Amino acid sequence: MFNYNSAGGLALPHRRRFLQEAGLGFGSVALASLLHGDTAAAAPVDQLAQKPPHFPGKVKSIIWLFMTGGPSQVDTWDYKPELQKRDGQPLAGSDPKTGFFTTSGKCLKSPFKWQQHGQSGSWVPEIFPHLSKHVDKMCFLHSMYLKQNNHAPAAIELMCGTNRPGLPALGSWMVYGLGTQNQNLPAYVVLHDTRPRGDDQIWSSGFLPKSYQALALDARRKEAIDNLARDGKHTDAQQRSQLDLIRQLNQEHADVRPTQADLAARINSYELAYRMQMAAPEALDLTRESKKTHELYGLNTLACSTFARQCLLARRLVERGVRFVQIFAGKGTSTDGSVNDVPWDCHTELDTNHRSCGLHTDQPAAALLADLQNRGLLDSTLVIWGGEFGRTSDSQGAKGRDHNPNGFTIWLAGAGVKGGLHYGATDDFGYKATQNKVHVNDLHATLLHLLGLDHTKLTARFNGRDFRLTDVGGEVLKPILS
Amino acid sequence: MNRSLICLLVLQFAGPMAAGQEPAATTKEQLDFFESKIRPVLVEHCYKCHAPEAKIIKGGLRLDHREGLLKGGDTGAAIVPGQPAKSLLVKAMKYDGLEMPPKGKLAESVIKDFETWITMGAPDPRKSDDVPKARTIDIEAGRKFWAFQPVADPTPPKVKYTEWPRDSIDRFVLSRLEEKGLKPVTDANRYTWLRRVTFDLTGLPPSTREIDDYIRDTSPRAREKVVDRLLASRAYGERWARHWLDLTGYADMMGTSNNVYAEFAWRYRDYLIDAFHKDKPFDRFIREQIAGDLMKADTIPERAENITATGFLMVGDVEIVEPDKAKLEADHIDTQVSKIGTAFLGMTLGCVRCHDHKFDPIALTDYYGIAGMLRSSPSTHKIPFGVWSLLNSTDLPETPEQREARLKIEADYEKKITALKAEQSQLAMEKKTVEAELAKVMKDDAKKTELTKRRDELAGKLNPLVGLIQHAEFFRSKAPRAFAMHDGDKPADMPIYIRGNPYAPGAVVPRGVVQVASWGKLPEIPKGQSGRLQLADWLADRRNPLTARVTVNRVWQKLFGEGLVRSVDYFGARGEMPSHPELLDHLATRFMNHGWSQKKLIRAIVLSRVYGLSGLNDESAMKLDPDNRLLWRMNRQRLEAEAIRDSLLAVSGELQPSEGGPGLVLEEPANCGDLALKGVNPPNYTHRKPRASQEYQRTIYLPVMRTNTTDTDRIRNYFDFVNPAQIAGQRSQTVVPTQSLFLMNNDLFRKRARVVTDKLISQHAQPEERLKQLWLTIYNRPMTNEERDRALKFLAELSPLVQANESLLWLELCHALLASNEFVFRI
Repeated sequence: MFNYNSAGGLALPHRRRFLQEAGLGFGSVALASLLHGDTAAAAPVDQLAQKPPHFPGKVKSIIWLFMTGGPSQVDTWDYKPELQKRDGQPLAGSDPKTGFFTTSGKCLKSPFKWQQHGQSGSWVPEIFPHLSKHVDKMCFLHSMYLKQNNHAPAAIELMCGTNRPGLPALGSWMVYGLGTQNQNLPAYVVLHDTRPRGDDQIWSSGFLPKSYQALALDARRKEAIDNLARDGKHTDAQQRSQLDLIRQLNQEHADVRPTQADLAARINSYELAYRMQMAAPEALDLTRESKKTHELYGLNTLACSTFARQCLLARRLVERGVRFVQIFAGKGTSTDGSVNDVPWDCHTELDTNHRSCGLHTDQPAAALLADLQNRGLLDSTLVIWGGEFGRTSDSQGAKGRDHNPNGFTIWLAGAGVKGGLHYGATDDFGYKATQNKVHVNDLHATLLHLLGLDHTKLTARFNGRDFRLTDVGGEVLKPILS
Repeated sequence: MNRSLICLLVLQFAGPMAAGQEPAATTKEQLDFFESKIRPVLVEHCYKCHAPEAKIIKGGLRLDHREGLLKGGDTGAAIVPGQPAKSLLVKAMKYDGLEMPPKGKLAESVIKDFETWITMGAPDPRKSDDVPKARTIDIEAGRKFWAFQPVADPTPPKVKYTEWPRDSIDRFVLSRLEEKGLKPVTDANRYTWLRRVTFDLTGLPPSTREIDDYIRDTSPRAREKVVDRLLASRAYGERWARHWLDLTGYADMMGTSNNVYAEFAWRYRDYLIDAFHKDKPFDRFIREQIAGDLMKADTIPERAENITATGFLMVGDVEIVEPDKAKLEADHIDTQVSKIGTAFLGMTLGCVRCHDHKFDPIALTDYYGIAGMLRSSPSTHKIPFGVWSLLNSTDLPETPEQREARLKIEADYEKKITALKAEQSQLAMEKKTVEAELAKVMKDDAKKTELTKRRDELAGKLNPLVGLIQHAEFFRSKAPRAFAMHDGDKPADMPIYIRGNPYAPGAVVPRGVVQVASWGKLPEIPKGQSGRLQLADWLADRRNPLTARVTVNRVWQKLFGEGLVRSVDYFGARGEMPSHPELLDHLATRFMNHGWSQKKLIRAIVLSRVYGLSGLNDESAMKLDPDNRLLWRMNRQRLEAEAIRDSLLAVSGELQPSEGGPGLVLEEPANCGDLALKGVNPPNYTHRKPRASQEYQRTIYLPVMRTNTTDTDRIRNYFDFVNPAQIAGQRSQTVVPTQSLFLMNNDLFRKRARVVTDKLISQHAQPEERLKQLWLTIYNRPMTNEERDRALKFLAELSPLVQANESLLWLELCHALLASNEFVFRI
């Protein structure tokens, strides 16, 4: 059974304030009277009401561009001249069992042309012509590592802090800790095309109440949000009068039970749902964006239209107060040897695979950074780029790379972090993290810190134990904070 | 949980201790070496976590004095003087198994220095001021905690308001209320009681006929008749089996990765429905689930049942993709131990994988005692291709009749395969002929066009046949199988895994059970057996202080919304105290005295006076006891996802009875992934084509995908389904707009409402008659006059909006009722 702790739980004033501030179209007087004489011991009503952070945070929203399948660090952001020189030579200390299959033990150089960019002189391969212009915004964590070496378990470890399913994900903890900024939209949104391996477990609320579960929007489905659209014969006017009737029925049901405050919340939730019917399509309607914006993101190009749509949606959602948007990026194409649900998974053809993934993601991601900056949103938004693990520096087969959780790069850009910084390092071949290693718990501690939450205090009790996103680990990466 | 990180306590089993060993003589050179090469490294890289300046001494290891190094932490001594190769400190610095310091490997030269230093005997002048003491668990003191006390049989107390109690249960409740100067609210009316008890026992609403029967029945036994009818129904088994499934991690998928289907999981689900339906004595029910395969059986069906029951230990989330098989085994055993702890004992045994319990008197030896039994009964195996593992399954014994019937099915099935193959070869031959003819045609004429077309047609027919034949052959065996436990070849005690790590074995622990909840020595485990049978007997013993209490409390929670102990899965020190300790014991004793019959227990409770209370408010009680811990009224409960969906079907009259069987539609090739059994992944499942009948079956029969990919998974999820990677005896009751969206717009509501409406219109001409009927069908009670007026007004106002379309008009009303609180709550 889940219990609220004193820090994350809701005291009555929050609840009452929420109901007063919710600005209900009708029934608010009745609701207020429902709460009259209520006592603090009744069940908490609105688990999503805004809660004060532990201390002022620099970040209000996070957009995580999840590079599904596991991009290769040595072919994206972690340039290794030594690896380039020793192509085909034995990789000292290589473990053929690092990945899912077996690797050759021989160095495979990056097939891409590399160049330094920006004032930071960061090395970027040719597959990111757009993102290379933003390197000075990026704070690179080159020494990420985790334990799991297959997609679903690794993605779960990366998002939930440990490798076992059933625990709440980062986004759920965020909403649990801070509440929502916009009651008309879900606070935690996942945008995916093909569902990534691990599916709902990656954005699960675990043992936390389902109120903290992500809303997953499937770009392929006509109805992005389940049950948002009425059936064809059900007009707005019909529904409105139907809802009025439901409200009256519910009101009567509640009137004889004036102390049961969750009934009030339930009455309210119909109104929220009704408003979400309006607010969500508006937020998701990209026709409201200019042609120029569409072009900036690459919405009109075949290669990156999917990811462009997702990135632009992310910006629109963040603008409207959504706390955490996670995009499972990219779309595998049958020609580069990758599979739909793990596009970056370059087991056989690293070169074509990463070129194609680059093509699908580079322009939209860069456009997102530029757009957020132009709108002043980058001061309060943090963009994260990274997948569930890295790849082996030695080859799998002739031209592929296997999974490698021992060292990989993610970058953060935007609020609260130092741009152009390269933190931590892998060895000379990019095979394992060696300096300033960053565990998932450290990353999470840092992200929560940026949001104004102390990761050691954000706890939830489940079956007698206080759980944390960071378990008993986690250290805030102070050197990367701006 | 990442257990390797949470060890905060020093183990008392940390292997051979070298404390007290002093190097023969320490020279000045040696000390200089220490001061220049060793101490600075320790201070810079280690003290942060392994000296008093650390907030928490990590791993219980102190490196700021010599005793600390010698004594070591959770993983044993850090150094063995004179033997660098045996010193964990060096191994850790070399990143061999352990990796220290975590921020990055130190230079080779530094590691060499440490080796040199250890070789010279690890001279170290630092003395300890406070050596941390090993914590030991005081079992006798632990037994004083209420939950470990033997179950008592308290006499029902005397009460003042003597005419109120109906059952001794009521006297326990009333006595507590009277102590506080409170009294119970009035009884619920008969309609409310009937709806309540019908939902609680079956997960379905009463039919209009059942309402009518009960309301007309004025005999004193009217309520008993209802309860007995409900308890006898299969729907009761279906409802209570689902409650139990929440404690098992049940899904029709093995792990979370790649949709690997759990083909036989449904047999355990059906076993449960049957067990609850026939009121299998609960002690027997426990034994079968832990060790059914080791129990004697008189008949073949009984033997099959016993084997299937052990699915309890199999159906949870197991990370079958884990390439490290030792870790996979340790993790799965942990799932099993945790499940046993939570489901039967209300104890968080999972915490004890890495360290003695922080709050409860449960030691590592308790955990590894049970774990040893489970490790002696392997439950997964690696597949011959790829890195995956699968759950073990066992052939179930068949009666001669079952076998005959099955062989007939298989024979028919073989005919199907033969037919498919015949079709394939016939088409192939025809295609060959056409191709031969085509080769002869020189000119691009009509004949060539026609032949080409014919060839493509044939190819089009041939292509899917390959998959169909493969699918048919893959599933050709219809022999009954179940995911089940069996004892392995070499049952043995196991070592403690230090910090839960299978690569850091500690002292071997004899197989056993939780000491603090034991009354004597565990009977000896027969040679060659795992010990699960002894574990089962201990769990299901009358003297076990936890099992019966935990069980009756779970039943109480389902019927009252909250348990007498509100933390239903946790009876430990940080759980909640029982609101009515004597009532809890009374129920537990009564339960055991009545042959561990769950039906008798439920019958007594639902016929009690307190169960029949209304949910109305009482000012003074509200002030004193706002949480209703003293049970001055009935708690209201929102229906679970399953009950909502099932009730819609019941109300529309479309609900179809089911005998069980597979929820996965594996017979549909479109649902099955690659069955070639040579790729890196095992075959997978996507619920693309449901069986037509599934739309009308109760939700318990529909597949549960861990990845929430089906429509039913989504419905379950809107309404607080327990994530099957977790186990929890009580679901939360959230209020979120997605639920309202579901109620307002989901097709399910419109479909069912349409059926109700059509019936209503065809059966009753008068609006008032229709309204009466509608209220009775959906709210299971008569309509009030106010409601009638309001509904008529609604219809009048809505009529112009739907161009007086009668069917649509009533549909909207019906849908509104179905979407309202009164329908989705039981009061």
